[in-house]
Amino acid sequence: MSKNLPVFQGRITIKVKGGSIESFMQACVSEGCVLSQIKHLDDSTVLMTIRVQDWPTFKKYRKRHRCRIQFVSTEGLPFFYNAQKKKKALWLAIVCSCLAVFLLANTLWSIKVEGLEPELEAAVKSQLDSYGIKPGSLSISMKQPREVQRLLLEDIPDLLWVGVKKQGTSYQLYGVKQTNYDEPEAPRPSNIVASKKGMITKMFISKGRPLVEVNDVVKKGKMLATGELKEDSGKYVEAVGEVLAETWYRVEIDQPEQIEQTLTDGNSSTVYSIAIGKVSIPVWGFWRKNDEEDREERYEQTFELFGWELPVRIGHNTTYENEFSAQQPSKEQSVKEALKNGRNSLLVNLNEDAEILDEKILHQGVDRGKVKLILLFKVEENIAETKYVSQGD
Amino acid sequence: MSKWQNQLRNWVSQYFDLPADVMLDLPRITTIGSIHAYIENCTGLLHFSDHEIRISHRRGELSIKGKDLRIKMMLKEELLLEGKLLSIDFIDESKGGGD
Repeated sequence: MSKNLPVFQGRITIKVKGGSIESFMQACVSEGCVLSQIKHLDDSTVLMTIRVQDWPTFKKYRKRHRCRIQFVSTEGLPFFYNAQKKKKALWLAIVCSCLAVFLLANTLWSIKVEGLEPELEAAVKSQLDSYGIKPGSLSISMKQPREVQRLLLEDIPDLLWVGVKKQGTSYQLYGVKQTNYDEPEAPRPSNIVASKKGMITKMFISKGRPLVEVNDVVKKGKMLATGELKEDSGKYVEAVGEVLAETWYRVEIDQPEQIEQTLTDGNSSTVYSIAIGKVSIPVWGFWRKNDEEDREERYEQTFELFGWELPVRIGHNTTYENEFSAQQPSKEQSVKEALKNGRNSLLVNLNEDAEILDEKILHQGVDRGKVKLILLFKVEENIAETKYVSQGD
Repeated sequence: MSKWQNQLRNWVSQYFDLPADVMLDLPRITTIGSIHAYIENCTGLLHFSDHEIRISHRRGELSIKGKDLRIKMMLKEELLLEGKLLSIDFIDESKGGGD
C-alpha cells in the first residue's frame, strides 16, 4: 500500500446505488481518488469509504454514471473537530473544571504550627500572613519553604529553630522557642512600702532590713523594709519580702427584696429558615406564632466547602415560652445572699492571695423594696509594694 | 502494441534480467495465501460483486473468484482484495474470450 489514510484526514463512508458502479469507481480512481473498504451489498449497491478531498470528484461523476450516493457515516479528525465546535458548553465546562481542580489543588488550605506557645504561634501565623501565606491563598506564587524558614527565623527573634514543610495543600511548621539564659539583671536598689493601710500580722523579709514589726498599724506609703542594709551607708540592695497585714473594707450593698425570674417552661417551637446573605426565608414552622414575651434563640448553621463558607445558611429560631415568677425570700435569706454578693465583689477587686478573715454587718435597712446593707470585712493580704530608689545621681 | 514490439520487450527483459511486469505492462498479482490479493498494473474495474471481480489490464482481463470479496483499497492502478479467494482466471484479449 503506497498510500495510507492518516487518522487526521476526514473520511466519509457512502453507499453508492446505480447501474454502472464499477465504471463510476474507475472514473473516480483515475482522477486520483482513493477508495477503501469497498463492500458489495447487492448487485446495485456498494458501500465504500472515501476521503473528504475526493468528494467534489464524486459529485462530479455521480450524475454522468447515474449513481446515487447516500451518506452513511463520517469519521476522522476534521469531522470530530466540527462536531466538537457545536459542543462549546461542554468544552467550556471541561476547561472550567480542570481550572477549578488546578486552583483547588494549588490553594493552601491549612497551616499547622506545632511545638510553640499560643503567643508565638500567633506571631508565626501573622508573619506567614505578611508573606502571603494564609489559608485560601494560591500556593503557586508562594515562596519556597526554605525561604520561608529563613525569613521566619530572621523576623521572629524568639524562634530558635523552625521546620517548614509543605505537604500537599497544607503548611506544617514545627518551631522551637528560644530560651533566654540571660544574666539576671543587676539588683536594683529598692525599698518595700505599704500599699494599703493595715495591721501587720506576718512578715517575711528575705532581703533587706525590716523597719516595722508585727502588730504595727501602718498607713499607706509607710516604708516597711529598706534595701539599705546598713544605716546611712548609701549601699542598697533590692528588698524582697512579703508583709501580710490585716486590712479593713467597708462594703455597701443593695439587694432587692423580691427576686424576679423568668423561667422557661419547656414548651418551645422552632422556625426553620434558609438565609442567603441578609435575606432570611422561613421554610418550616413559621405558622406557629406566639405573642407572649418569649425568649428567642437564633442559631445559624453554615456550610463550608473546602474551607470556604457558602452564602446559604440554615437558621433555627427556637422560641421558648417563658413563665414569670416573683419570689419573696425571707429576710435572713436575702441578708445571706447580700453577704455572699458583697464577699464575692470584694474578692474580685483584691489580689489572689487575699483572704477574708471576718465580716460584720454594720447597718441593715430596707429602703424602697431593697435590702440595704453596710458591711465590714476584715481581710488578710499582702501589702508589700516594691519601690525603687533612685540612687546616687 | 505491435507484435515485434512485444517480442523486443520480451527479449530485453530476459536479456537484462528486468522484471517482466515493468517491461511488458502485465498485471502483477501478489496473493497472501488465499485471503489477500494485491493487483498492480490494472487499468480498470469491470465487475465487482462479493463472489467475483473482473479487472482489465493492458493485455486482457482478469477474473478473481472467491467468497465474501471486499476491496480493501482501490487506487488508480492498484487494488487490494480481501476475502476467501478461490481462483484467478486470465482471459486473454487476443483469444477474444471473456464473458
